[in-house]
Amino acid sequence: MIGPALIASATLTGLVASVLLFRGYLRRDNGYVTVITPLIGVTAGLLVVALGYLTYQFVVTDYTNAYVWNNTANYIPLLYRITGVYAGNEGSVLLWAALAAVVAFWAAVRRGIASPDAKLVQGLTVGIVTYFAAMLFFDSPFTAITEEFPEMGEGAAPLDGTGLNPLLIDPYMAIHPPVMFIAYALLTMPFAIAVAHFISTIRGNGGLFSDWIGSITRWLRISWFFLTAAIVLGSLWSYRVLGWGGIWAWDPVETAVLIPWIFLTATLHAVMNYRSRSTYGTLAPAMTATTFALVIYATAIVRSGVFRSVHSFADGGIGFALLVLLAVTTILGVCLPFGYWLLREPAEPAEESQPWLTRANLLHLAVLGIGLLGFVSVWGLSFPVLNSYITGMEVEVTGDYYNLWSYPIVLAMLLLLGFYMDYDVEGRRRALLSLGVFTTATVLAAVVAPTDSWLLATSDTNDALFYQLIGSASVLSLLPPAAYVCLTVINRTLEYVHGSPSRNYQFKQVGVAMVHIGFVILVISVAFSYLFTAQSSVIIADSEQEAALDDSGVHDVPDSSYAVEVTDYREYQRPDDPDIRNVAFSVDEVTARGDSIHETVQPVYGTVTEVNQGEGATIVQLDDSQIWLGVVGDGQADVDVSEGDQVVGVGYVMWEYLPELSQTDAVVVTDPADIGTVTNPPASLDQTRVQGSAVGLTVYDDGERLASGEAGQERYLQQGGMEVRNVFVDRGLTHDTYVIAAVDEGTASLTIRQIPLMNLMRGSTGVLLAGMLVIILFDPAYGLVRTWSRRTEQPITTETPSDD
Amino acid sequence: MTPRKILTIVLVITALGIGYYSMNTASVLSDESYTYHGDTTWKTDVDTAMETAVAEDKPVLVYFWTTWCTYCEDYNKNAYVDPDVNDRLDDFVLLAVNLDDSSPEAKDLQQRYNANYPPQHVAITPDGELLVEINGYAETNSFIAYLDEAQSKWESR
Repeated sequence: MIGPALIASATLTGLVASVLLFRGYLRRDNGYVTVITPLIGVTAGLLVVALGYLTYQFVVTDYTNAYVWNNTANYIPLLYRITGVYAGNEGSVLLWAALAAVVAFWAAVRRGIASPDAKLVQGLTVGIVTYFAAMLFFDSPFTAITEEFPEMGEGAAPLDGTGLNPLLIDPYMAIHPPVMFIAYALLTMPFAIAVAHFISTIRGNGGLFSDWIGSITRWLRISWFFLTAAIVLGSLWSYRVLGWGGIWAWDPVETAVLIPWIFLTATLHAVMNYRSRSTYGTLAPAMTATTFALVIYATAIVRSGVFRSVHSFADGGIGFALLVLLAVTTILGVCLPFGYWLLREPAEPAEESQPWLTRANLLHLAVLGIGLLGFVSVWGLSFPVLNSYITGMEVEVTGDYYNLWSYPIVLAMLLLLGFYMDYDVEGRRRALLSLGVFTTATVLAAVVAPTDSWLLATSDTNDALFYQLIGSASVLSLLPPAAYVCLTVINRTLEYVHGSPSRNYQFKQVGVAMVHIGFVILVISVAFSYLFTAQSSVIIADSEQEAALDDSGVHDVPDSSYAVEVTDYREYQRPDDPDIRNVAFSVDEVTARGDSIHETVQPVYGTVTEVNQGEGATIVQLDDSQIWLGVVGDGQADVDVSEGDQVVGVGYVMWEYLPELSQTDAVVVTDPADIGTVTNPPASLDQTRVQGSAVGLTVYDDGERLASGEAGQERYLQQGGMEVRNVFVDRGLTHDTYVIAAVDEGTASLTIRQIPLMNLMRGSTGVLLAGMLVIILFDPAYGLVRTWSRRTEQPITTETPSDD
Repeated sequence: MTPRKILTIVLVITALGIGYYSMNTASVLSDESYTYHGDTTWKTDVDTAMETAVAEDKPVLVYFWTTWCTYCEDYNKNAYVDPDVNDRLDDFVLLAVNLDDSSPEAKDLQQRYNANYPPQHVAITPDGELLVEINGYAETNSFIAYLDEAQSKWESR
């Protein structure tokens, strides 16, 4: 009852707070203003406590909660019990709601809610939180197991859960979703501010974007930081766990999360360039509002089951609620700005003969280019669905579609970035000259391909012209623009850092350089890594025998410099030491539950203290108690139990079954197949969840011992026999060695992959994230760490000092 | 018209162009009665496939696949364009089952041959008797070996 009460109270306080906020905004009064912030705090507190309580239920495996029962099991270690909290829809919505509520409370405390604008912004944010809370009220993660399965009987509680999707049992998975939801929760604030801006503008109150630009920039940057981290963590997870797909496979769900990321990146560039009356007066707030709508779109895709994918663990229907939210956020975040732009935006003063080459125009081109990149992903995801609805024909969108369309756009964007950085410090003439040089170099490099593996795609003559053209370009074409960006960014940073007395400004420039260089290196390493991954296979037919030998043979892997030796072979199962108490009741527990489990099927164990062999039944007393096991049906006479045996049986619990026997409270009526000993329980009580097989391997490269480790597979019996590969990854300086094994009755089929540049990829994402962190902290205008001079000289600026 | 407006219009036209071009050149994966993988054409209707197998006295190769499975793309790229593979496939009636398909016949096949992840192949007789099972991705050489094994089992039946 605690869980539903917490959710209900949070919905109620959230609702009251948002109603009061909207009332205050519409009537322009400050009535109740003193209670609103505490109310938001209470809402946030209740949701956090609810999340904590759900986590607690998972940790202690409280299976009276159906959601816990559905998403964990006794054999799962503590860390992954916590993963279970957000393994399903209800739990992840609770996590999102709790985080969004904390963000709303933080903003209310820091900025206050005295002004009408602040009331509107807070009203929208708290409104979204309340909506989530209401969703949880109707689709609760706290539904009692007896409510979901009334046939279990009132007091019943399962002794073991059904388990967690094996793909989620991984350390990266334990942190990837929370990081993602932090990003999503943080985006609520910019969305609310941007929507409030349009409402306020349309109502003739002048808008609030320019007053809140500091807050918006900070929220957007911090969300970008977390969203990037979440995508990186997700990629590492799919690299390690799935065993198929690698770090990026253009799975619909991966594409879906990339869309808000690309859009957020474009939004950040637009917001940087925002000037209230002239540049981006409409576009920057519009993009800010749209980003959150895209987040809801991404979530709807992940949860809807419209696009089946590797992530199909998440399906099962989002229900109506998320679709309504998608509609609302689309109306507020996309249609409202678009309508304003179409109907109300004041005409810009027409200035003929504006120069083409200005920083503002270059940035505008960057925003558009990133937007175009986002469009490629949105379209790739959406058109197959549209097409199959319209024509009934299913078309294929492979990784090649995304890669080949994105490639020229990325090249153009890199050249543009280099040009912008160069133009900024070197002036028009020189910048145009170097752009020409590097563009030529790019085009020339595109035709230089030492071997076929340098080509972007293996195109055949059936492919469309564009795919053939881009597909036959060489990956070398990435290097000139990459070098161009690195050189110009470093040059510009040195110039700016050198000429500025402000330490914060210098830090920010270094941060900007890190983000852009990190991104460029990431692009290069991903492209080269994918094209130069080499793979070969070998089958070792009698690996089990080989493992037993002291000096087993070394097998050359065909078409590669690798050789492998099998050093170990094992088959195992989990839990490895099952305890009958995990799945069956003692007689005391049956007695304690009493009448409530009358006529339900329950497992019971105990020591036999008396055996009565009758004609139609064999009756066995357990632990000298009032609880008996009654074996009926064919073969009951052959059941071999004697006093002192420890037995376990599954059957219908019948109270007052034999009223004539005074020492009998209940008989558990079972049949011969459902009774066994504690060490050899009947099949229905078999606790084996995971059957695994693994081979220990030593991998040699050119005769040198490279690494040793274990690879294998696990079969999850109670998850439809789902198989998960445990890959063996050896991280080397220049490349990873990655071994996938399929082990079947002693035969090991090994696939060995050599994946280059993984460390460069890991390093570049580190630089990218660190760079953004530096910008978040030290930006002289909106950084979290204020400059010394700013604090002492000029506390009065366009924004209030505490405006998060 | 300011430069920014012109740039915007150019980019919007580019986006529309990308959309139109890619939609028209996307390779067809399936239509009403077939799905296409590499150079091969597979029936999608279980009953038709079984009837054809009886009529032509051929074994059936069932391919369990999905649109999102990367190893299925590897099959398309490596196996289903290989002339040796295609030669052997001529001796089978080909039936592809999309694991995301929720029709009862597809679900039934999926359950009967315990195919719960893509890609998997089973070679069966027209009465449904299992000849060979290929779980997961097989390199083209061993894929051919599996097909040969199925064919010899079929002949020595």
